[in-house]
Amino acid sequence: MTRSDHSLRRRLVWLVVGAILGIGLISSLVVYQRAHHEADELLDTQLAQVAETLLTISVGGEIDHFVEEMHEQARRYAVPIAFEIWHRAHDEGDRIVTSPGHSGFVPPIPDGYSNREHQGKLWRLFSIHDPASEYVVIVGQRHSARDRLARETGLSLLVPTLLSLPLMALLVGWVVNRSLRPVDALAQSVRSLDPGALTPLDSSSELPREIAPLRDAFNALLVRVSAALDNERRFTADAAHELRTPLAALKIQAQVAQRAQPGEAQHHALAQVIAGVDRMTHLVEQLLTLARVEQGAATPPRPYDAAALLAASCAPYRAALSQNRQTLRLEADPGCTPLLERAWFEIIVRNLVANAVNYAGTAAQIRVSLRCVSGRARLCVSDDGPGLSPAARTSLRARFARGDTEAEGCGLGLSIVERIAQRAGAELTLEDGDPRPDGGVGLAVCLDCPHAPFSASDTSA
Amino acid sequence: MRLLLVEDDRLLGDGLRAGLVQAGYAVDWVRDGEAAITALGTESFAAVVLDLGLPRRDGLSVLRGLRSRGDTTPVLVLTARDQLEDRVQGLDLGADDYVLKPFDLDEVAARLRALVRRAHGRATVILRCGDIALDPAARTVMRGSHAVDLTLREFNLLQILLENPGRVMSRRALEEQLYAWDNLVDSNALEVHVHHLRKKLGNDAIRTVRGIGYTVAAHDPV
Repeated sequence: MTRSDHSLRRRLVWLVVGAILGIGLISSLVVYQRAHHEADELLDTQLAQVAETLLTISVGGEIDHFVEEMHEQARRYAVPIAFEIWHRAHDEGDRIVTSPGHSGFVPPIPDGYSNREHQGKLWRLFSIHDPASEYVVIVGQRHSARDRLARETGLSLLVPTLLSLPLMALLVGWVVNRSLRPVDALAQSVRSLDPGALTPLDSSSELPREIAPLRDAFNALLVRVSAALDNERRFTADAAHELRTPLAALKIQAQVAQRAQPGEAQHHALAQVIAGVDRMTHLVEQLLTLARVEQGAATPPRPYDAAALLAASCAPYRAALSQNRQTLRLEADPGCTPLLERAWFEIIVRNLVANAVNYAGTAAQIRVSLRCVSGRARLCVSDDGPGLSPAARTSLRARFARGDTEAEGCGLGLSIVERIAQRAGAELTLEDGDPRPDGGVGLAVCLDCPHAPFSASDTSA
Repeated sequence: MRLLLVEDDRLLGDGLRAGLVQAGYAVDWVRDGEAAITALGTESFAAVVLDLGLPRRDGLSVLRGLRSRGDTTPVLVLTARDQLEDRVQGLDLGADDYVLKPFDLDEVAARLRALVRRAHGRATVILRCGDIALDPAARTVMRGSHAVDLTLREFNLLQILLENPGRVMSRRALEEQLYAWDNLVDSNALEVHVHHLRKKLGNDAIRTVRGIGYTVAAHDPV
């Protein structure tokens, strides 16, 4: 299971137990070496003392008596040290005495300390001679004695460490488990979250410093996600409700047509059915546009002729303009292009102009302007229509808001423009428009954004 | 039967008006909340068909204003909101019934008939007086065991009178309930309809109260 492979808990236990084991091993090794060294020094000194004592005894002529004593003792105790005494005249010498059980080292033996193999074992030797009496004393001890001493000292440290290791592992496991309990609790509370209602985790309870930021970050994410989710939910609900009225109209008109006698009334109802389908088509198209704007990535725009696009986008409204006896004036700085994708710019212009045509009223004058000033491009659609109060300007930005008007529309145009503005880092404002003959002002909807670096000329330059 | 239709959507309003006229109602159509308040303050209607999302003044506010004046005209609410709280709020504010968009023309007509019937304190569907029986749903009138053929106006006039048995209905009240604003009332049209009704149903069916108006007898004890 991949999950247990990455268990923090298990890794902590292994790491801590391993570290304790490693430290135990290393310190035992160090102690062993240290003990070996100390044993060498101690036993070397002992060897020299024994040799000197034996020499003094030999020179004093009491060696025979001492050796007898030694042999007597050797019958009762194991003698840890071997020695031999030589009397050397010129270069020849005779071994006078050897310690009990000792067969004698093979000469020559150098003065002072030396190592030698004897009967398959490693020995430490010390040789001393008195030039006056020509006695030579050689004392030897097996190396294994020293090794054993060092080993026992080292093991005395290692064994308790090894024996206590399982207990230590249990203890470490318990401590780690205990310390990770808040993580388990946090996981449990995240697991029990209702995906429908993403309420933030309880932030009042005390959490360790290491986990609290995780919870806080998670809560911040929850807030963002649930805001987005709420927005989506509201949108879906709003859209569904918005579809119900045109659907109701379609159904009623169709039923009226079905029941009417052939003639003008039936013809009228059928024409209304067709108009209803057109209106629903428009609503669905606007919804799709909004969805595309929400999902589409803000790609860096490619160059295009904004002034030409502006004129082309306004062209479809010519029939509606003449029907409403409205006029439309276009003012575009040459080469001024907002930093907006071509398709988005077109959607914005269409929606703003459509709004002006629908809501500015009969005989209104509509002005569409695109100006570049000090690095900013500003698109304004202003009219001398009835205008809007500041409160109405705010509420009009809501989705499906149509304002207090009898004019047809699905109330999504401004939402689409606003969403594009947000995505493109542009600013949308509703301002006073052009003055009316009666002293009031119309409405101006303006979009302010950086202008594209690829524009051919810049009026501010 | 005169109705006030309050609906801001041009297509839906137009369709509902046509449909309700087909169903035999006289329909006045207004397209915002303020106009609805004005109409309700000056005229009397058999029932109101009220959309909730309206410009200038929303439907719930119109409803609240109507009920706070003590006006008990039945109100059928048209709503796009199917959430329980939306419906409960409407009913709490004094709506008598609601239909959810998109609705069926027949359903709207049936609910309106039920509202009008309840408003007159009747539990039975068929209106009776003597040997005359009027079925508002089927729009048929029987005299004894014979079906009587009536025009739209005659039928509506008879229904209004049968809904107010024993009460003398003034000419003005009858005209107000019979005709929408856009139908100009001929000064003696009402007399003509009464005359035709008497010819078809018998002279004693409708009694003239001189200088006041017309009435039908109270229900005979069965």
